[in-house]
Amino acid sequence: MVIDDDPDFRAAVTAILASVPYDVVSADGLAEAKPKILAERPDLILLDIMMDGLFDGFSLCHSLKTAKEFEAVRSTPVIFISAVKELAGSRFGFKGEEQGMAGPDDYVDKPVAPADLLARIERLLKK
Amino acid sequence: MPDPLILIIDDEESMRDSCSQILLKGRYRVETASDGTAGLEKTRELRPDAVIVDLKMPGISGFEVIEELGRIDPRIMAIVVTGYATVESAVEAMKKGAYDFLPKPFTPEELRMILSRALEHRRVALEAETLRREKQLLEENFITMVSHQLRSPLVAIQQYFEVILSDLAGPVEDKPKDMIRRASERLTGLLHLINDWLDLSRIDQKGLIGKVKPLDLGRILRKLVDFMAPSARQSGITLEWPGDAAAVFEALGDEESLEQVFTNLLSNAVSYNKPGGRVEINLRREPGFIVCEVRDTGIGIAQDHLPFIFDQFYQVSRREGKRGKGSGLGLSIAKKIVEAHAGRIEVSSEPGVGSTFTVRIPASGRAGEGA
Repeated sequence: MVIDDDPDFRAAVTAILASVPYDVVSADGLAEAKPKILAERPDLILLDIMMDGLFDGFSLCHSLKTAKEFEAVRSTPVIFISAVKELAGSRFGFKGEEQGMAGPDDYVDKPVAPADLLARIERLLKK
Repeated sequence: MPDPLILIIDDEESMRDSCSQILLKGRYRVETASDGTAGLEKTRELRPDAVIVDLKMPGISGFEVIEELGRIDPRIMAIVVTGYATVESAVEAMKKGAYDFLPKPFTPEELRMILSRALEHRRVALEAETLRREKQLLEENFITMVSHQLRSPLVAIQQYFEVILSDLAGPVEDKPKDMIRRASERLTGLLHLINDWLDLSRIDQKGLIGKVKPLDLGRILRKLVDFMAPSARQSGITLEWPGDAAAVFEALGDEESLEQVFTNLLSNAVSYNKPGGRVEINLRREPGFIVCEVRDTGIGIAQDHLPFIFDQFYQVSRREGKRGKGSGLGLSIAKKIVEAHAGRIEVSSEPGVGSTFTVRIPASGRAGEGA
C-alpha cells in the first residue's frame, strides 16, 4: 500500500511496484489510509512522512506499531519515504525514537531508484 | 471546555460556604480549603483557573499563598478578599502577584464581576501564549516546509523519469531515452541546489547544527576518502589518505557539518582536477588548531577570481562560459560551517598548477596542548 498525498508520486511508484508484479493499493493521506489499512491488510506499507503540511507519517507509523486499533496489522512492515532527507532519517538516523516514537522498518529518499526500492521491499517481505 | 475551577482558601467556614453558594449558581466548579497549606496542596493537584484567598489566616498568610501560587503556575488568577482592607495591604497583595482585591463585605454581584473579569484576562493571556507558541513552531519549520513544497513537484517528475528510464512504462527508443536522461540529470542538479540552499539557511538560522564536541578529524577524513576514492578513480583522479592511520587529530566540532565541509572540498578537488591528477590531504597541529590542507593538481583559480570564490552562487567555470556541475553554494556552505566553528578557511591557487584549501578548526583541549 502506498500512502502519499501526491497523486503523481503515487502513480509513478505504483508503476514500479506493479512491474514485479505486486498488487498495489494507495491512499491519499491519513484519513483515507487508516480504514484502508484495516480493510485491505497490506503486506507492506510505503508511507510518506509529510502530508498536507503536517508530519503525519510519524504519527501514523507510531499508531500502526502501538495502537490497539491496529493490533491486527501490527507486524506489517513500514517503509518511510520522504523528500526531505533529515526527516526520513537517511541522513541523521530516525530521530523520533528518542522521543518515544515507534520507528519504521526502513526508509528511502524521494525520488526512489526503482531497483533499490524493490530490493528493500523484497528483503522486508522475506522476513 | 469544562467550567472554570475556582478554589476558595479561607479559614472561616461561613465565608467558604457563602462564596461557594454564590459561585455554584453560575457556571463554575468550586473547591475549598480552610488554610494556606491545604490550599496550596489543592492548587498543585487540581490546577484551578482562579483562587480566591483570604489575607488573614492562621498558619501561612494570604500574601505567602499568593507568592507561592505564582511559583506553581503564574497563569492561575489570584483574587484577594479581606476584612481588614487597607490601601497598603491591597498594594502589597498586587505586588506579590494578585490580580484583584475585594474588601469584605462584598455583594454576590461584586464577587461574580471580579471573578469573570479575572477569568477573561486569563483566557486572553492563554490564547496569546498559544499563538506565540504556534508562531514559533511555524518559524522553526518554515525552511523545512518551503523545501518540501519546492521539492515535491520535482520529485514527482523525477520519479516518472525513473519509471520511464527503467522501461517500466514500456519500451523507449534510445534517442528520447537519452533526452529524458539528460532532463533527469538537470533535475537532480536542481534538487541538489535546493538541498544546498536549505543547508545554508539552516546555518544562517540556528548557527551550528547539533552540538560541538571533541572528534578525530583524521577519522572523518579517512572515512570520506574511502567513500570518495572509487568514484575519483573512475575520473582518473588519485585520492589517497597518505597520513598515519593511527594518528589522532582531536578537534572541537560537529561531525555532520564538518563532514559536509570536507565532502565539498574533496569533491571540488576531484571535479576541477586534470586527468591523471592527484588530490592530497595533509593534517597537522598548530597551537590551538587542527589544520587540514586539501591540495589538488587541477586547473587552478585565477587571481582575480580568488576573492569571490566563497561568495554564494559564484562559479568560476560559469564566468568562463563553461557549465559548472555544482550549485555554486558548496564553498560558501563550507565557509559558513567553518566560521561557525570559530575556525578559518583559506585558499591559495596557481592557474594550471592547482589549488590548496586550508581549513583550521579549533583543537579540543588535550590536542591543543600537544601542539
